[in-house]
Amino acid sequence: MDRAYRNKAVIASLVIPGLLTFVFAVLAPICLSVYYGFMEFSGLGTPRMIGFANYAELLGDQIFFTSLRNSLLLAAGFVFIQHPLAMLTAVILDKLGKRAEGIFRTVYFLPNVISVAIIAYLWRFIYNPNFGLLNNVIKAFGGAGNINWLGSGNAIGSVLITLIWHGFGWGMLIYYTGIKNIDQTLYEAALIDGADGRQVFFRITLPLMKPVIEVNVTLALIAALKQMETVYLLTGGGPANETQFMANYLYKQAFQAYRYGYGNAISVVFVIICIVFTQVLNRAFREREGAL
Amino acid sequence: MRKIKKMLALTLATMMLLSAFAGLASAETVIKVFSNLPDRTTGQGFVEQQLFDAYMEANPDVRIEVEALQDEPYKIKFSAYAQGTEMPDLLMVWGMPGFLDEVIDAGLLAALPPDLGDELGFIPGTLDGFSKNGALYGLARNTDVMAFYYNQKMFDDNGWAVPTTYEELLALGETIAAAGIMPVSMAGGDKWPLGIYLTDLLVKIGGPGVNGRLYDAVANKDFNTPEFLQAAALMREAAVRGLFQIGFETADYGTAKNLFTNGQAAMFYMGGWEMSMATDPDIDPEIRDNIRMFIMPVVEGGVGVATDIAAWNGGGYGVSANGAQREEAIKLLTFMFHPEGWNKIAWENGVTMTAQDFSAYGTGEETPVQVEFTLAFTSATSVSGTPIIDMGTANFKNVSEDAMQEVAIGVLTPEAFVQKLADGCR
Repeated sequence: MDRAYRNKAVIASLVIPGLLTFVFAVLAPICLSVYYGFMEFSGLGTPRMIGFANYAELLGDQIFFTSLRNSLLLAAGFVFIQHPLAMLTAVILDKLGKRAEGIFRTVYFLPNVISVAIIAYLWRFIYNPNFGLLNNVIKAFGGAGNINWLGSGNAIGSVLITLIWHGFGWGMLIYYTGIKNIDQTLYEAALIDGADGRQVFFRITLPLMKPVIEVNVTLALIAALKQMETVYLLTGGGPANETQFMANYLYKQAFQAYRYGYGNAISVVFVIICIVFTQVLNRAFREREGAL
Repeated sequence: MRKIKKMLALTLATMMLLSAFAGLASAETVIKVFSNLPDRTTGQGFVEQQLFDAYMEANPDVRIEVEALQDEPYKIKFSAYAQGTEMPDLLMVWGMPGFLDEVIDAGLLAALPPDLGDELGFIPGTLDGFSKNGALYGLARNTDVMAFYYNQKMFDDNGWAVPTTYEELLALGETIAAAGIMPVSMAGGDKWPLGIYLTDLLVKIGGPGVNGRLYDAVANKDFNTPEFLQAAALMREAAVRGLFQIGFETADYGTAKNLFTNGQAAMFYMGGWEMSMATDPDIDPEIRDNIRMFIMPVVEGGVGVATDIAAWNGGGYGVSANGAQREEAIKLLTFMFHPEGWNKIAWENGVTMTAQDFSAYGTGEETPVQVEFTLAFTSATSVSGTPIIDMGTANFKNVSEDAMQEVAIGVLTPEAFVQKLADGCR
């Protein structure tokens, strides 16, 4: 086996497929995006070099910054609302045991196995101001029930609730798996020492879940920055771009406004932002690890 | 057992070979069609499918493959096709600069024989939007007139009268809302109906000649005129006074239509291409048989009269310049629009007003709304032509549609609205 691994042909045959995939599926599209980001191009006809004009426009584009703000709001929603709830649920599930544990685990994960299109349409019907479930429930309790949940002023909150709800199952499942991997003897020892539930959670579960939390938070941030499908199907970024997210805005510029060059400039900045945020997060986690 | 396996393998291999040869021998011509009419059983989709079936029957060696999507997904996939290399052969296109100019400039559409429109009996002027630099690139499917559909029975039962002025329309909206019914169902989430609503108001404010002024405004990047400001303010006033349903800014086409056809809304603001609601078997007869229409009423102090209307030739078909079956697609298009084709079938089925002379096909069984639309068009003293949102580039369309929604919900003031339109031209 060692001899095989020292053979350059074997090494090349193992590395080249991955390398080619990376070059053609990741690197080449990014390079093309950088190239088209310097162009004025409708996607049809011949592109025209305009230097940094697209990037200069981007700096003054209010909608782009609204999109970025919304992505960060969603990331905050994931980290500070979805994840604490997901972890709490995972802890409770772990304690339930037997059949209830399996049933509730499936129930909480169910939204994740349903198509995004169905989820978006389901929530559109829930939020519909004229015949939606939410307004009908309010009416049943004597309220006016005439709130436009996806209308101006309410839309971003409604979209965040949908997204937080939809991603809840993944976060919960990862936390649940993390908890299941904690050595049970630690809990037994703590019980013998007279620790209560609160102490067990804060002194054993939470510290041992740190690597899982780090992975989950990083994934949540990336998911928030990349968010597109649900928003596109739920609101299309409207009304008045209030629920615009970066990926959706990029798509709108490239494929609806036929501003392919500008869309690519957004995508380049988008990639840079994703890398910066991921690096900042990784560094923050490393520093905390060093301090502990 | 091994013998059986061998026999089975041999049989399957023979079948595969035979089917491969059968495919080669048939030499079938496949015409790929990209359409915006996903409902193939009613309305325009039904007429389109009837014509395709008739063409395949007349040409057994031709197979027509239809891919059909709703308007908004259609536009998005169209641009994806346009950026790729495999355009379908026959395409639905909108004969408006905002959609067609860039497609023609990119050389994606084949030029059709220049006299084709005259040969097929198209009404003069109806193909202007499908032509550029003297060449013809498409054929118009219908003549579009924008109107308020209303439920006459609901109006009669409640003693409501068709409004003759814009103020009466807004007052009627308040009366209807007070009765617990949605006054006008508006697909504001799709934005373009708001753009046509504004065009409709501009016609009533500016009267004949408004079309030229709209083109000038786009060309000069200047919309800061009293008529634009007034139109924007009047559209906002409609929203403030509750003429449109709650949440109109998020309602898509299908939702808005359903509110009307379910009897939840008294009116529905949409184009003449929806006149087939009056023959749609899926709609409750009590509503279906009582569908009528009226044109945007006059604006007090406006120059436009009741017979100045928002009308244009929008939807139609073009042939891909680089499609595998370009010549066959042109033959199919010519077949569709021979006088006994789209023109006759669409009219006889109460589907739409075509862009060809349909006067010879009167059956005496036209639906009331069909007759009303025809009257509105034939008695028009002026027509708006292309709606404002479709007068510029694709980017202008994108920006102006956003602006329409924003001014309607009060995010933009009329002054900021006209400025945003100007910015969209740059």
